[in-house]
Amino acid sequence: MPSSTSSSDALRAPTPLSYFDPEHVDRPVPGKPWRTLCVAALIATIALTAGWEIFWRGKGMIAGDYKNSNALWAQERRKAVGDATVMIGSSRIFFDIDLDIWEEMSGVRPVQLALEGTSPRVFLKNLAEDDSFRGLVIVGVTAPVFFTQDGGLRADVLGYTRDQTPAQRWDHFLSYGLEETLAFYDEQTRPATQLIIWPWPLREGMTPLFYPRKLSISTRDRNTEMWARVVDDPVYQKEAQQQWATLTAQVAPPPSADGSPPPPFPQEAIDAVLAELKANVDAIRARGGDVAFLRLPYDGGFQPVEDFGFPRERFWDPLIAATDSVGVTWHDYPELQGYAIPEWSHLDPREAERYTRAVTPIFYARMEEKKAERAARKD
Amino acid sequence: MLFNSLTFVVFLSVVVALHSAPLPWRVKKLNLLIASYLFYGAWNPPFVLLLMISTAVDWKAAQWIYRSNTEARRTLFLMLSLATNLGILGFFKYGDFALQNFVSLAASVGVAYQPPEWNIILPVGISFYTFQTMAYTLDVYLKRSAPTKSLLDFSIFVSFFPQLVAGPIVRPSQLVPQFAEPKRATPPQFYWGLALVTIGLFEKVVLADSFLAPAADGAFGAAGAIMPLDAWTGVLAFSGQIFFDFSGYSTTAIGCALMLGFALPNNFRFPYAAIGFSDFWRRWHISLSTWLRDYLYIPLGGNKKGRVRTYINLMITMLLGGLWHGASWTFVVWGGLHGLYLAAERLARELMGDRSWYANVLFKLAMALLTYFLINITWVFFRAQSFDAAMTMLASMFALAAEPKAVLRWSEIVPAAVVVSGMVATHWMMRSSSLEAVADKAPRWLIGAVWAFMLFMLVITQGSDSAFIYFQF
Repeated sequence: MPSSTSSSDALRAPTPLSYFDPEHVDRPVPGKPWRTLCVAALIATIALTAGWEIFWRGKGMIAGDYKNSNALWAQERRKAVGDATVMIGSSRIFFDIDLDIWEEMSGVRPVQLALEGTSPRVFLKNLAEDDSFRGLVIVGVTAPVFFTQDGGLRADVLGYTRDQTPAQRWDHFLSYGLEETLAFYDEQTRPATQLIIWPWPLREGMTPLFYPRKLSISTRDRNTEMWARVVDDPVYQKEAQQQWATLTAQVAPPPSADGSPPPPFPQEAIDAVLAELKANVDAIRARGGDVAFLRLPYDGGFQPVEDFGFPRERFWDPLIAATDSVGVTWHDYPELQGYAIPEWSHLDPREAERYTRAVTPIFYARMEEKKAERAARKD
Repeated sequence: MLFNSLTFVVFLSVVVALHSAPLPWRVKKLNLLIASYLFYGAWNPPFVLLLMISTAVDWKAAQWIYRSNTEARRTLFLMLSLATNLGILGFFKYGDFALQNFVSLAASVGVAYQPPEWNIILPVGISFYTFQTMAYTLDVYLKRSAPTKSLLDFSIFVSFFPQLVAGPIVRPSQLVPQFAEPKRATPPQFYWGLALVTIGLFEKVVLADSFLAPAADGAFGAAGAIMPLDAWTGVLAFSGQIFFDFSGYSTTAIGCALMLGFALPNNFRFPYAAIGFSDFWRRWHISLSTWLRDYLYIPLGGNKKGRVRTYINLMITMLLGGLWHGASWTFVVWGGLHGLYLAAERLARELMGDRSWYANVLFKLAMALLTYFLINITWVFFRAQSFDAAMTMLASMFALAAEPKAVLRWSEIVPAAVVVSGMVATHWMMRSSSLEAVADKAPRWLIGAVWAFMLFMLVITQGSDSAFIYFQF
């Protein structure tokens, strides 16, 4: 028959370059001890991989840290149905709220759907449009990200979740085994990532690259805390701060030297955001659910950006008023202030625990007050 | 499912284990068919129906063509096959494109037509298996072969998972006979197949996705004019990305099939060492270029109907070849440029005749570099999202753009430069050889070391989530 799958001798003479022959397929196998070579290559690969694993464990990487992937988010999104309590937001609510402590304090384990650098407005809209959801949404507000016009860094996760293929779900399931076993199985250890964060000289005319280093570790249900190295390694901590300085200089310039505020955020844009929020909040409440807002602490390089660029009276207060919601901001409660924020934006793990213990009762007390207020208004 | 995924590792292990088990050959073939449908359904289960429709229609159409007594009936049944296959392809792949062009045409004569949004998902690899199954009825119609006797063998031929979604586009005469007799890989075939899978995945995951895609994406994703260094880096990086991505798929497919004991043809032969464009198309996506030659160019008359018709046939073939890649005019231009290059080369040969200095190595090297340069011009249209973006990129490459910006960082430029230089040099050195011949001559320790290096790089790169570029075609 016109196919040949083994012909080592055919290799001795150079194979003539013939045009594609529709009648024949020549698939010669080079004459080598392939089984031996395969075993040798596998042994060498295992040895090299073991060395790589030891190297990264030495850098503080740990097994059992689950990738903050779109697939993990999609898995959690599927839990946000019925009367579930759901947290959305960007990275602060993701790092600063310890789900175990929240559950211990309130008896409710929230579904964590916050994503770094991403405006929770896209997730609020998604939940508002989902008739199967009638629970409580707790929205973490980091003003510069919250009011962004384009959805932010990972808004495409909604498209991924909608279009996720069966194969992608199986891949995600299979990746658990690797994540539980291997410390180096992490975005930051990839050669391509290492190339990016290598200190290359800056080309003329370019601004420094904003590329956040690994900052967190997560469990299988996205309960997330700051990575120990950010807390314990001053050099790494400095690098993390430097990345935020790069970002804030590029996207939200601090006030000028004479103290004048940065160019104002147009009022029409704020009004449009508030109108959109109100519509989505109303849709969730119409089904028996509710929405509340949390603002979490920051300091260092973020303070001038947020306090001057997004003053409370123009952003936070109108947001709470327009949506008639509970809003808990750290500025209002002494017990929510004075926490250690190693890289200016997120609490360290112990402080996150302490903060969650402090904020949970405040939050639920405010929810009860609001409920009473609404009931009184009805009467 | 993607080759570069954990699911595929598990899937292939199960398929190989079942194929090696002491089961009757018919049961093994059924396993292969079910595995292939599972492989395809892992993207979108309902689309398996498309495979089944193509299989059923072409199976019956070929029999009817073979049994027909009149030319009219033969043509009728061929039309049934072509209408089904091209209808499915046209609806899913070109429907939106046709609609948009209709809207533009209507607007140009003052008719404002606003159609509903076209929300049709493109079935992955539809162009590949459509062409593969059409070759079967065309071969029967052209009396090149008789219909196959086994529906099971034909069904596996249409859906054979290693090459289902991105080729090589296999001919019935190459693959169907291989299903007739029990096949199982010999140990050398199995391990060499595994080595090919490693090479293919290394090309895709490490070279294309990790080291070249960032530069290509950065340059082609920039808004407005960019510096010549950035533009050239982006285009050259894309030339490498598209090669390693597609060649990586083909090599993995060949390796997977070989691990099961089946032989698939080569799809690439070091194309960036091509001297001229007819040489390029003997080295790049060989299974498509020969498909177009055998089922389009030759039926159009090829070079048998006079000089002018030859050039027209060449252009028609390459323009449709461009459109095969994607529903966009930029792909048509890409094909058109290749058609022009081929026509110019043919004309130059006619005018110049044979010259002794054609064999001079410096002349060959210069021609190879000129070919690579001109191919890179075509990649701009292949990769750019629009004509405007393509023209801006071309202007940027030749320092004709106003106010160009630097958009690529050294972290993107240096790896791209290293990998592309290595690729072009390797192609040149191996242009008259083959992977098998090189492996045959290489010392054992070197093969073991290179294999371990590629495996280790695959492990530490941790795979990649990105699909192969040619899946969209």
